[in-house]
Amino acid sequence: MNPSLLRSFVVVLALGCSVTALAADVSAGAAKVKQICQACHGLDGNATIPDYPKLGGQYPDYIAKALRDYKSGARKNPIMAGMAAPLTDADIANVAAYYASQPAVLDSRY
Amino acid sequence: MTTRTICALTLAIAASAAFAQAPAQPAAQPAAAAPAAAAPAGDPAKGRAKTQMCEGCHGIPGWRTAFPEVYSVPKLGGQNPNYIVAALKEYRAGERTHPSMRAVASNLSDEDMANVAAYYSQPSMKTASQK
Repeated sequence: MNPSLLRSFVVVLALGCSVTALAADVSAGAAKVKQICQACHGLDGNATIPDYPKLGGQYPDYIAKALRDYKSGARKNPIMAGMAAPLTDADIANVAAYYASQPAVLDSRY
Repeated sequence: MTTRTICALTLAIAASAAFAQAPAQPAAQPAAAAPAAAAPAGDPAKGRAKTQMCEGCHGIPGWRTAFPEVYSVPKLGGQNPNYIVAALKEYRAGERTHPSMRAVASNLSDEDMANVAAYYSQPSMKTASQK
């Protein structure tokens, strides 16, 4: 692939993805998920506990937004505040990218 | 004397009955907790009729919010119903702050929320076809 074609491909990709998703490391996200999220949300994000949301295949920028809001206190939940507090911006991007990469059990529906 | 004895005996019997029942309680608890954990008893057909306010954003794959912050509107199809109800109640109470969602949720009764959750929580076509 020639460089200019590659460059335009990257630009299109960057426009299509959210900023957080672009910088994300899915395998680092998987490691965090195993430590922190898995017990409630499941390793594949298909939470079996009805009170907790399924995250598998959810949009990564929505997951990241939720985590940022839990961390800042804009969204209040005592459990999630504790989970989100130690996460760095990179952790948030990685975790979001990991769950978004899982086979979707969720869909857009009308 | 006799009255006292009867009273004491009654108390003793009542107390032993109460203590005898105590160990049985933990075993009974999961059964009692199960209905609370189960899906709210919503009617998916009634919920479907209430989604006019939802589908303009949640029905369009890849749709994004425009205000006050840009991010993808979450997928709701196949989501856990209790979580959907909890989210709607938090918007209605103002505990979650997205302006559009607060407006939408303020028009929903508890019953509407249970119905909408029952509709959205039905397994996705994707999952159903894979089974």
